[in-house]
Amino acid sequence: MTSESAAKAVVDPDHLPIWDDPAEAMYRQVTIDLDKCDGCRLCVVVCPANLLELFGPKDDLKVRLKGDVTGCMSCNNCFAVCAGQGVFATEPYDFVGYYAQKRIGAFAQPRKF
Amino acid sequence: MSDTLDIEDLEALEDLECEEQAGGETKADRTARRRTAIHDIEPGADWNDVEHAILTRRSIRKFKGRQVPEFMIRRILEMGRFAPSQGNCQPWSFIVVRDKAMIAEMEQACVAVCKGMTASVDYTNYAPDSAERAAILENTQKLNRASPNSFHPVPMTAIKSIANGRFAVFHKAPTVILILKDKRGVGVPDVDVGVVGTNIVLAAQSLGLGTCWIGFCRLLSNNPAMLEKLGVAPPFELAEAICVGYPIGNPTQQTVARQTHQIIWWEDGQQQVLH
Repeated sequence: MTSESAAKAVVDPDHLPIWDDPAEAMYRQVTIDLDKCDGCRLCVVVCPANLLELFGPKDDLKVRLKGDVTGCMSCNNCFAVCAGQGVFATEPYDFVGYYAQKRIGAFAQPRKF
Repeated sequence: MSDTLDIEDLEALEDLECEEQAGGETKADRTARRRTAIHDIEPGADWNDVEHAILTRRSIRKFKGRQVPEFMIRRILEMGRFAPSQGNCQPWSFIVVRDKAMIAEMEQACVAVCKGMTASVDYTNYAPDSAERAAILENTQKLNRASPNSFHPVPMTAIKSIANGRFAVFHKAPTVILILKDKRGVGVPDVDVGVVGTNIVLAAQSLGLGTCWIGFCRLLSNNPAMLEKLGVAPPFELAEAICVGYPIGNPTQQTVARQTHQIIWWEDGQQQVLH
């Protein structure tokens, strides 16, 4: 989020986020650990936003984000199918201003009480 | 004894009657029988089967081509039938679509609606600072103010993707369950639709099936011919859909961390904030 868009949201609580602008509407904090990626392509197949692609030589394929596409909603279907736990959306999906999520805390695995 | 009997009084009466009958049930047997509904569970215990199904459920959007056996769909719908509802009014009805041509037709009907919507609200199709973009943005903002949920950026992005063919509404699933809502239902029938669907989704998860809620099925409500063909008629309305199929890969091998949510906790006159 740029400080400019954040400031705009504070000034105008009715400000409508521009949905294709990563500075206003989307986080794209998908972390990929290339050492753990074996290029199996499952995450590319299951990503609902079609954000991932394979690159590299045929015998050593790795996954990466496509450069110009937004749309990650932190569903982490990629992480769920990844046997090596090599890919994870580390930031929650959020907006500035009107749509900003309230009362949300950090990511946590299921906790036993 | 007062006019009203509580459960301890009733149990005491039963104890008296049993003592009068020689050779009847012992007190220990009676205690065990009465406690069958109480599970002794320690803090920090492992997840039970229901909790496990909840924690491993994912919204599956890529399915194998193989059809799900009919009995399994009947089985998960049966779990829906036993869902709680307001006033026990059970304001739901199901349409199961397993016909490839019919699902394709539903898909096309939704795409047509999305194409129309992007033409009138997708300002991102026009160059920044152009007059067309400003005009359409104004239109979008008006709709957004009137209906902030429907015109939230998330469905808007999906509508754009559906219109340009990047995203399939029904995810090419082999089976689609349409949940109809009886609009005469007690209280808030939409909530009951959510509850019945949750039963179906969790039952499917426990059987190894993948599911995804499809709210975009309501786009079909703009197409009277399609509704008639499907069999949607008043007092029923199309409320939600659930896609069912076998998931690609193994999305249950690990649970994905979720955000924590604020819990305001009142006890003994004190307020705490937990997460």
